[in-house]
Amino acid sequence: MSDLSQHSSLYTVTDNVRRRNAVEKRFRAYGLAAIATGVLALVVLLSTVLSNGAGAFMQTYVTLEVELAADKLDKQGNRDPEEMKSVSTFGYSPLIRNAVIARAAELGWEMPDGMNPKDMGAIISKEAAAQLRNFVLANPETVGTTITIEMLTNGRIDGYMKGRVDRQFAALDGNVSPEQLDLVDLLVEAGNLEKRFNFAFLIAPDASGQRPEAAGLGVAILGSIYMMMIVLVLALPIGVAASIYLEEFAPTNKWTDIIEVNISNLAAVPSIVFGILGLAIFINFAGLPQSAPIVGGLVLTLMTLPTIIIATRASLKSVPPSIRDAALGVGASKMQSVFHHVLPLAAPGILTGTIIGLAQALGETAPLLLIGMVAFVKEFPAAPPEGFFDPASALPVQVYNWTQRADAGFVERASGAIIVLLIFLIIMNAVAVMLRRRFERRW
Amino acid sequence: MNDMRIAERAAKVSTSKISATGVQVHYSDTHAIKDVNVEIEDKTVTAFIGPSGCGKSTFLRCLNRMNDTIDVCRVEGQILLDNEDIYDHKVDPVQLRAKVGMVFQKPNPFPKSIYDNVAYGPRIHGMARSKADLDVIVEKSLRRGAIWDEVKDRLNAPGTGLSGGQQQRLCIARAVATEPEVLLMDEPCSALDPIATAQVEELIDDLRKRFSVVIVTHSMQQAARVSQKTAFFHLGNLVEYGETGQIFTNPIDPRTEAYITGRIG
Repeated sequence: MSDLSQHSSLYTVTDNVRRRNAVEKRFRAYGLAAIATGVLALVVLLSTVLSNGAGAFMQTYVTLEVELAADKLDKQGNRDPEEMKSVSTFGYSPLIRNAVIARAAELGWEMPDGMNPKDMGAIISKEAAAQLRNFVLANPETVGTTITIEMLTNGRIDGYMKGRVDRQFAALDGNVSPEQLDLVDLLVEAGNLEKRFNFAFLIAPDASGQRPEAAGLGVAILGSIYMMMIVLVLALPIGVAASIYLEEFAPTNKWTDIIEVNISNLAAVPSIVFGILGLAIFINFAGLPQSAPIVGGLVLTLMTLPTIIIATRASLKSVPPSIRDAALGVGASKMQSVFHHVLPLAAPGILTGTIIGLAQALGETAPLLLIGMVAFVKEFPAAPPEGFFDPASALPVQVYNWTQRADAGFVERASGAIIVLLIFLIIMNAVAVMLRRRFERRW
Repeated sequence: MNDMRIAERAAKVSTSKISATGVQVHYSDTHAIKDVNVEIEDKTVTAFIGPSGCGKSTFLRCLNRMNDTIDVCRVEGQILLDNEDIYDHKVDPVQLRAKVGMVFQKPNPFPKSIYDNVAYGPRIHGMARSKADLDVIVEKSLRRGAIWDEVKDRLNAPGTGLSGGQQQRLCIARAVATEPEVLLMDEPCSALDPIATAQVEELIDDLRKRFSVVIVTHSMQQAARVSQKTAFFHLGNLVEYGETGQIFTNPIDPRTEAYITGRIG
């Protein structure tokens, strides 16, 4: 106090003010440090995911002329697909191997010591035999001719083309040898082998542990889309109706207080609990099929409802009461005032809340593990509504699934799936922001 | 419009439009209105004056049952509109509010076009059979709101884009569009500048030809300028009710005099 009473110049900063300024400066530094930490974490995360996963969007393909020997594929000579089905993929593998050997011979390749013809065929994916068999069964008339067909290479060869595998590594690896890589170099030079955009990654179904090169996200994306459809159709109307009732019509008493507290609590319940609920009620009690989008969708609906209700109530609350008064004042009923005036003004907030709830549901993994969506699903689900009851996978679960597998090719696939998931989330959030900007009204 | 008119003013025919007897209003524990009896006349401007929190707005909101929207509010007593009890259980407040329009303190146009603002009431009450009918109603209402000339070229512009005074006149036009018999105004000029206030006051005087107007105001000058009858509320009581000229020049109750001369308020 003595400072103030004494004569003091404005040019000298008092201790008190200096201390306050120092505190403020420190607080700003904390804030900056916090933001920098967050940004750094995000950059590290994104760069790791991108550098690991970018490879999943490229794929190595090999184009070869394959002779479809009639004596191997169609012994009766009737060209009847039913009869030809008796030849399994094992019958097709030698044809592909022969094609590789033939092409290598054409290019003047001499098989080095310690390599056998089987190794040469092994540069092609195990998936190729199935692909070739499907092609032949669909086009029986091609048996006996020589066709040019594009096939996947083995995952290790794909890794070599992407720089993941080198000769030193290959020498130690039982699945690939440096000699095979020499052969690959030769085929690349001849133009038989090339790397290009991997469209199949987005549409193909999952593949077994030995063939990461064939694994795709098709079933997972479809399953996620099905679940989002169910969540949207159920959670939006239920959530909005519940919020409108609670906010506009319900009397304020003990019961509505209890409901309000419970809704807030539900929003914080760990998602795995919803999974257990889904397992107990929808699968064990109601008898719905396991691994089906319908069960996943119902569980995610329960999880999303509190989010939507809270967002909707907040945006209903933000509509000025004068609008309600105005509507009631000209003789609108309560319901008319809500549906004609309040709801349109609250719509942007409701939509944003819904989309954010959906985005949250899209990335949810834990409850889906419990209801069996983690299973290996290679068959595409049918079109809705029947497809809702078919087994399917989901994007986040697919990521989890792939990270569990041994082959290094799946690490790349998992990161690729994360990128796809992130792209979906970014699109949804961007739409939310856009809708908010577009429909936001001032009054 | 000026204070000169007070003397030459007299309510010509006294036909009672609204008759309130023994009205009590409670907000949970607060006794907001205490035993108010008042007769509001047809084709007359009645002003409610009084200090803040004296219950004049609460009483106004009883007249079209806007208080129904407040959970904790309880209204007792009897309010008759044309000898019908508006709190009778057979009365639907929606029908009542079409007959008793309301204009609020803050201009509150819907965030829609000027046309839709005015057309909303007639639409929900099914007053227009065709678009042409509706056009006629909208024009008539906007003319009655003394805003037609200003907005006739931009009926599709948003009502929220108008100035404060224009918005308030738009709200008046919206209120008269449903052909009410009584128009309640809750401090309609408190958010307006003096020029807009003068325009609205002129409009109120004009509206008296067709409607019974009840206006709550903080401004005693305004009450003196626009009303024929004045009611003075204090602490939830109706202290004095009478001809505006008499209230302002020769109040009977000492509290009225104290308020008018600025000693309480």
